[in-house]
Amino acid sequence: MSTAQAALASRRARPLLSLRARSLLTGYLYLTPAALCLLATVAIPIGKAIQLSLYYDVLFKPQDYRFIWFDNYIRLVEDPVFWLTLWNSFVWVFGSVILQFLVGFAAALLLHQAFRGRTVIRTVMLLPWVIPGVVVGLIWQWLYQPNYGVINDLLMKADLLHERVAWLSNPDLAMGAVVFTNVWRGIPFFAIMLLAGLQAVPDELYEAARIDGAGVVARFWHVTLPLMRPIIVVATATRIIWTFNYADLIFVMTSGGPANATQITSTYTLLQAYANLDFGYAAALSVVLLLIMLAFTAAYLRITKGVEETG
Amino acid sequence: MKARGIPSSAAERLLGGPVLWTGLAGLTAFALGPFIWMLLTSLKNRQELYATPLRYLPEHPTFENYVEAWTSPITPFSRFFLNSLWVCSATMVATTVISVLAGYAIARFRFAGRDALLLVFLATQMFPSVLLIAPLLTQWRALGLIDTYQALIYSNFSFTVPFTVWMMVGYFSSIPRELEESAMIDGCSHFGSLCRVVLPLAAPGIAATAIFAFVVSWSELLFAISFTTQTSMRTLSAGLLYMVGQYEVQWGPLSAGVIMSTLPVAVLFTFLQRHLIHGLTAGAVKG
Amino acid sequence: MNERWLLSRRRFLRTLVGTGVIAAADLPWWDAPLISPRRAWAAEPVRFQFSVPEPTRITLVTSLVERFNQSQKDFAVEVEFVPQAQARQKLISAISAGSPPDCCQVWDNWLGQFQGMGALEDLTARVQSWKLQPDVLPTAWQTVTIGKQILSLPLSITLDGIYYRRDRLKEVGIKEPTPDWTWDDFLKIAQAFTKPDKNQYGYGMRGAGTWAVLYPSEFAYANGAQVLKDGKVVINSKEGVDALAWYMDLALKHKVTPPSAPTDGFVEIVETFGRGVTSMYQHNSGSVGQQKKNVGAENFATLPVPIGPAKTRASFYFSETVTAFKGARNKEGAWRFMSFLLEDEPSLMYCKTLGLLPARKSIVEQPDFKGDPALSGFLNSFSFAIVSPYLAYPGWGGKLDSDGVPLIQQAIVGKISPKECLDKFADILTKNMA
Repeated sequence: MSTAQAALASRRARPLLSLRARSLLTGYLYLTPAALCLLATVAIPIGKAIQLSLYYDVLFKPQDYRFIWFDNYIRLVEDPVFWLTLWNSFVWVFGSVILQFLVGFAAALLLHQAFRGRTVIRTVMLLPWVIPGVVVGLIWQWLYQPNYGVINDLLMKADLLHERVAWLSNPDLAMGAVVFTNVWRGIPFFAIMLLAGLQAVPDELYEAARIDGAGVVARFWHVTLPLMRPIIVVATATRIIWTFNYADLIFVMTSGGPANATQITSTYTLLQAYANLDFGYAAALSVVLLLIMLAFTAAYLRITKGVEETG
Repeated sequence: MKARGIPSSAAERLLGGPVLWTGLAGLTAFALGPFIWMLLTSLKNRQELYATPLRYLPEHPTFENYVEAWTSPITPFSRFFLNSLWVCSATMVATTVISVLAGYAIARFRFAGRDALLLVFLATQMFPSVLLIAPLLTQWRALGLIDTYQALIYSNFSFTVPFTVWMMVGYFSSIPRELEESAMIDGCSHFGSLCRVVLPLAAPGIAATAIFAFVVSWSELLFAISFTTQTSMRTLSAGLLYMVGQYEVQWGPLSAGVIMSTLPVAVLFTFLQRHLIHGLTAGAVKG
Repeated sequence: MNERWLLSRRRFLRTLVGTGVIAAADLPWWDAPLISPRRAWAAEPVRFQFSVPEPTRITLVTSLVERFNQSQKDFAVEVEFVPQAQARQKLISAISAGSPPDCCQVWDNWLGQFQGMGALEDLTARVQSWKLQPDVLPTAWQTVTIGKQILSLPLSITLDGIYYRRDRLKEVGIKEPTPDWTWDDFLKIAQAFTKPDKNQYGYGMRGAGTWAVLYPSEFAYANGAQVLKDGKVVINSKEGVDALAWYMDLALKHKVTPPSAPTDGFVEIVETFGRGVTSMYQHNSGSVGQQKKNVGAENFATLPVPIGPAKTRASFYFSETVTAFKGARNKEGAWRFMSFLLEDEPSLMYCKTLGLLPARKSIVEQPDFKGDPALSGFLNSFSFAIVSPYLAYPGWGGKLDSDGVPLIQQAIVGKISPKECLDKFADILTKNMA
């Protein structure tokens, strides 16, 4: 054992070439299972979709199937509904994620404290994420129903509302209503992820800061946040991307209505694919969305210094 | 973190007391509200469900919705439950193993294209899964995997693996490299330092990603419907949709189904929670 | 070296275990399905997809399938239930992947697009030599014929009528209208029914889904408008615009519709009527069964759509059909099963249980249908019903959903005028007449 240790120590003193080569190899070995999964299940279909976006592919007009270069993309740029959906997507994504993050972080901080019944409350906090999105949509649609939904009923009983509000049928309120439901559904993600991150911060750092005279807020700002940066960045980045593509809730609750008030790009893509059977255009929409998200993520990671190691 | 013999400031007392309790109460009510409504609904019979004005508490609570769902031969929730349990457990275990490996590699080993690789992992999430159905269907059919658990498990990887890899990269990155290096200088082997230093510190993260892999595949619906044809192979989420009729949503059985499908996850999470506890770092860092 | 090798080996083993677990997931004793018809020893199973799996229909279809399987030994049908919202998607994916089911229950407005995809099996020859062919209503054949080809077998037909609450009519003291009631009668009754403080509204207008466009179109016909005339789209004629303005005034001026109208779909308009929030709504006969349970059979009845200022009216036929696919493997079995579904007892069972109207003349005549007041509105509509004009072009089906519905929603909330709405709609229809 000691020879090996010595060998290790001496290797570390030398230039890193051989260690680096071995690290590289091990690194790639560790990556292989993940890469295989993704290749089989996602990479190939994405490649096919990119190819499809360059064709005119309307399923019930197979005789018109042909290579059309970038015509689908030109049509996209000229489509006013597309730009509307893009705007809606931004509102949907950033509204939901910012609120989910803030409330989720607050929840994580609360759940981090020790108190009786902590296990139960933590479990309760996880529950909104367990139900399939389609069912969440159905339930909340029922709750929002102006005439026999619980929300209006309770608000009117509490005298906070005097007239029944059509939450999902009013073009001005609909987006807010679906964002609210998405926030309800997304809080567990942040609460649990950030809670796990909070747990990993070593106590010693807090003690040291406390001894140095830092108050609660200062400890939070200078100890907690910096150490949690990678997790915060990762959690928010994945959540933003998921929410961009999340069509289930809106599809069930409003189908993109009323009058496209809640139509986001991913629901619009679904509509083109399955109502109009225009798979070429739908593929183009997905590719554009993919590029937008890639650009955004690259910028986001750069700005927040991504997953660079802390300390 | 309770103060250890050091007097707490007024701010700390405030935060630890009323703020804590109001915050918790508010959040719990918010998260639990719809579930309570679902629970009440599942205990009502049809007349009470359709009564106006809206009735909250069931006058004649009944378990017929639960019994009906569990034992019905046409929507066998018992079978759906087992299917979901199997598929999601397998997904969770496999995903955790794969992502711990990949996450560690990306977080620790510096190699060219690391950032680009991370972006690629994330990019696979940027594609609407609905458009993946047709090509995946062709693939599974060609491999003869329709109506098997494998097709569902492998398809679940398409959205669990990228996200869990990212999560693990995040958790591993937030563990200072100095801890491992100092452990190794102290005489610990590389593998030993991994086991004794990194994994325990990352245990909350691993537990969190495991539970999320489970939950996300538990609520997954689209692949379950697309890649299975027999009712006996359907999962719980797909089974819930059987309660959505053409002109009517059967709220009684649906809410019973919702309650039944959340219970196992709640139980699992209660068990996994012991890893979400702080304090496995004691003694790992030299003083 | 030792440690790293150990590290990789352990990781490798764990990964192996992980994959081994997955491979073992296909354990044989999990495979026994709970619902499985007895298999005929010889044949390839007939795969039948059914797209409305709610408990009533599941029981019904399963028993029909079993009856078929037991009545003969050549074919065994296996039924797959797909939740309705995913059914069309799954069918399209399966067709694209080259493995459609052998037969599937669909609706007539899906046929145009599937035919365009070249997915449907031409049944004309089989039908013409079929003994039950003359007994099926000619209009039913019309809904499943595209070009000169018969592409599907109609299981049941239905058309739209107005449901209304008889008990509430008595409360407000209005006499029950005859089947020849007019728009003015309709408006008067709707206004009498509307009591916002009691949370009651006269008419459950539909704002979401394809039929949000079809219902006002039916009203437009009552004003003398048409969708197509001499091959041109004329829905935005003066008569059409006036009719839509009258229809929208129900929501905008007279406020007889509930506030949720712009996003109410099938499920919502049925549920609001069932809970007594609305006292009238327009729908086909499919929700009769539910309303009997929700409201009580003696408390409601149905009427044909009211006669408009042009002294005429129209209701659109619509059929639920079962169709076979070109890419199917077991076409003979599919045909046998499909024709079985239209025989006397199965057809009677199917339509009676679900409140649909049978596609066969001799069965419609039976007292189960003729004698039911809840179905009277629909039966009285046969004389003026027409096949939906929107089935004329396959490109129209999707456009109704993606473009037509948002336009109607904008009109319901008052964002655009009826004229604008119809002009844009006509434009889209004309562009997609290919």
